[in-house]
Amino acid sequence: MCKKFIIVLIWISFASTLYGAQTIQVWFHSGKGEEREVLNEQVKRFNQMQSEIKVNLVLLPEGSYNDQVNAAALAGDLPDLLDFDGPYIANYVWSRFLRPLDGLVNKAIIQDLLPSIIKQGTYPGDGRLYSIGTFDSGLALWGNKQLLEKAGVRIPTSVNNAWDLKEFEEVLAKLAATSGVKWPLDLKLNYGRGEWFTYGLSPIMQSMGGDLIDRKRWVSSGVLNSKASIEAMSLLQKWNKQGWVVNAASGDNKFYGEKSVGLSWVGHWMWQPHKKGLGDDLVLIPMPKFGAKAVTGMGSWNWGITAKSKHPELAAKFLEFLLQPEEILRMTNANGAVPARLSAIAQSSLYKQGGPLHLFIEQLKTIAVPRPFHPAYPIITSVYAEAVDHIIAGGNIEAELNKAVRKIDEDIEDNEGYPPFGK
Amino acid sequence: MSSLKPAAFRRIESHTAWRMLAPAILLLIIFIIVPFLLAFILSFTNERLIPRPIPTKWIGFRNYIRILTDPEFWQALKNTFWFTMFVVPTQSALGLGLALLINQPFKGRHIFRSIYFLPTVVPMVMVAIIWAGLLQAPEGVINGILHLLTFEQLGPYDWLHHELLAMPTIMLMSIWQGVGFQMIIYLAGLQNIPKELYEAARMDGANAWQRFWFITLPSLRNTHIIVLITTTILSFKLFTQVEVLTKGGPLGATNTLVRYIYVAGFQYQKIGFAAAASVIFFLLVLVIALCQHRLIQTDKEY
Amino acid sequence: MPKLLHWIYYSLLTIIAFLMLAPLIVMFSTSVKSDEFLILKDLGSIAAFWPGIPSSENYQQILADPNMPFLRFLLNTLIVVVSIVFLGIGVNSLAAYALSRLRFRGKKIIIAMVIALIIIPIESLVIPLLLLVNRLGWVDSYHVQIIPFIAHPFSIFLFYQFFNKIPKTLDEAARMDGASFFQIYWNIILPMSLPAIVTVAILQGLEFWNSFLWPLMVTRGVEYRPLSVALAQFFGRDLKVWGDIMAFTTLSSLPLLIVYFVFQRGFIQSAIGSSIKG
Repeated sequence: MCKKFIIVLIWISFASTLYGAQTIQVWFHSGKGEEREVLNEQVKRFNQMQSEIKVNLVLLPEGSYNDQVNAAALAGDLPDLLDFDGPYIANYVWSRFLRPLDGLVNKAIIQDLLPSIIKQGTYPGDGRLYSIGTFDSGLALWGNKQLLEKAGVRIPTSVNNAWDLKEFEEVLAKLAATSGVKWPLDLKLNYGRGEWFTYGLSPIMQSMGGDLIDRKRWVSSGVLNSKASIEAMSLLQKWNKQGWVVNAASGDNKFYGEKSVGLSWVGHWMWQPHKKGLGDDLVLIPMPKFGAKAVTGMGSWNWGITAKSKHPELAAKFLEFLLQPEEILRMTNANGAVPARLSAIAQSSLYKQGGPLHLFIEQLKTIAVPRPFHPAYPIITSVYAEAVDHIIAGGNIEAELNKAVRKIDEDIEDNEGYPPFGK
Repeated sequence: MSSLKPAAFRRIESHTAWRMLAPAILLLIIFIIVPFLLAFILSFTNERLIPRPIPTKWIGFRNYIRILTDPEFWQALKNTFWFTMFVVPTQSALGLGLALLINQPFKGRHIFRSIYFLPTVVPMVMVAIIWAGLLQAPEGVINGILHLLTFEQLGPYDWLHHELLAMPTIMLMSIWQGVGFQMIIYLAGLQNIPKELYEAARMDGANAWQRFWFITLPSLRNTHIIVLITTTILSFKLFTQVEVLTKGGPLGATNTLVRYIYVAGFQYQKIGFAAAASVIFFLLVLVIALCQHRLIQTDKEY
Repeated sequence: MPKLLHWIYYSLLTIIAFLMLAPLIVMFSTSVKSDEFLILKDLGSIAAFWPGIPSSENYQQILADPNMPFLRFLLNTLIVVVSIVFLGIGVNSLAAYALSRLRFRGKKIIIAMVIALIIIPIESLVIPLLLLVNRLGWVDSYHVQIIPFIAHPFSIFLFYQFFNKIPKTLDEAARMDGASFFQIYWNIILPMSLPAIVTVAILQGLEFWNSFLWPLMVTRGVEYRPLSVALAQFFGRDLKVWGDIMAFTTLSSLPLLIVYFVFQRGFIQSAIGSSIKG
């Protein structure tokens, strides 16, 4: 009796592995609420529409995401598919967490991707594609048209007629003198020390000729502490000292809620709150030309399939599902991001020619600079964010940047230049 | 058993001893001695926390050179020293003061003793968070009271985010939390002073101040040393309050040696570098402990 | 004492008592206020000390929050601390007994080693330990918080000193009756060492109830995270909801405060005991 029972049990478990769905583990950062909702819904629908693959979605806190990935890699607990912030790709591929996507993901999809998505997902070490985002990011200035007009300033509409440094500072000064304006500029300092500082504020340095690191020699010394970088950071400090910038403690809503701020320097993800708060008063303004050229950021959260995944082709199927134009649009309509596929952009009411956010596409095509593709990126971003934090608090700019340079270059030396880089 | 020959008995005794010692010794070897030696070895390598596709290498004294030329290390060391230099004497003096107060024969002294000792039982993370509430700016109790006491002349201050105020604020909080401990040690010391000494002094016409200066203080010599050493080493390990309240800020003004090790080893995963910093930290503690040894040895009564 | 002096004396004691209690009073008063706006207003004035009409809303919220399972964190802390204390008493007293009572070669070296190990601060060992437990795959578990801390040189030393004071005639008499060494340890020495056991239990218990740096590095999620780290994390969130924070803090400090009031004498004795550590 008992024996029979066991045999039946074994048979059932066998059958279920043969005929039942294969489960794949998927990790997602629990960032914005809208993104979470859309993805949850997508997973649910995907699980219902087919019986071959069952997606098990796990949400992880964004602040310590990279730590969690490292910890899981160490314990051999990485999921089949995970998302991560764009520039971490070099570190993850170098650490052998990821596998190339060519051959796994349909070629037609890859050919339809926005060039910036391909660029962001390609590992420079071997030139292969390791990650694909369903959307790219956009960074620009959001303006309160009513306040800007009251201040009597020119509102640029395209990369070609962007403000230069002089005009930008005049705008800030004029806004400061305008009644109803408490602060001319919101730099989202309330996000605190983290990826935002690198993504959002390093373009100022790049615009003026500085950078985080030399992208050929992979040395930070002479670049992050160059005259141009120091000058760029001194602008930040100056604006802050002049009381032009919303301070960290004042909260998130001064621009779109209280409407006491003229310009908000932030990415696409604030589209919904901004639109809801300001309505027709919301204008999107291109990044200023602080130096010789204007620069904006690029790259957002990407999907990658892990090297140790036992079902890479199933993970790829789910990724392909997320990359269908209508699924991409579901996501980007919710979070305001740039759709990753050209065919999706054409269908997007936000991003098509003449759409309210089309400027982001123009910027991505002309002035976007990716964050450095280098395995040392986790340390680069973390020490740069610390330096920005200290500089905003009034620290000595040169000393802070020298400290950051030292830590970056020491880390690269400690890892022997992260071969095959630096050779 | 007693019927066994002495030699055989000795062997059994020796075997039993080692078996009884085995669990403790094994654990001590694996979790103290091995890590201790490992710290020295690792400090000469470029080891990382997470395995990586390149082998770990010997790099000589590079980690030590980097630490000793790192302004952040010196800042952390300076902060730790400052904290210790201020907290140790202040806390000890206050502890002695409280012990003297409590040591008088009066009703209810046990209640006061329990209350004064109470904060030492509250874990440091919780102490730090409670104080964060008190120290809120502009609307915190401490700013409110300061405002009231100075007739609205002073404050409000953002205590924990002010470069000059942050460290003194952490010191004050730590003293509040720890002073009950020193009080208890001093109380035990006071109760060991023979009553006859005071009787004799009184006979000779010594006043209260003279009795304190010439009898109490010298008789507490051992207690002073004990309090000094325990408080110094405790202060030297400053980490929890700082990590919870300021993360070493503003501008590194409250960073400490232990936090420096933690950030390098855990956050930046530079195990080799952090191991070198640990070795330096250990050597500093050793110097303090050796000074203690000297102090105690010169005191014959101990 | 003259009456006036008496008065001054008690006032002084009361003022100090108030200073020592004030932060705890604010903690409690804030934790029973449900209106966050009122809390912010009160925190800036004397009203912070006054609980008003107490409400248990914050406590209910804390206990119901699925992201911050207070009881789970408390359980984690209890599992870790209780295991360390119990296993610690066994392992350390057994070793101390051997060192105090048995004759064997190498005894002096072992005693010297134990005393030498006392001064090694755990802070200087956490980095290599971290590497060790990472490579062993121990991260995020109970045992990674327990096993490294069972053997405790200072506890061995305290037991050793205490056992040395117990007259040897007792063991000799027992040995005449044919008792084994372990029986002597178990039936005679340990029952006589209650004060030492209490001291060691409180010292080691407090040390690891307080422990923060280590669990901060080796626990990652809700499952094994102790109260101290969970509380710091709860506090570290950007939006500070003081009512909830103070309720969480009150709940977290309560177990220890209760134990303190029950075993006060033990706590004070162990404070004195710990001072010889130096």
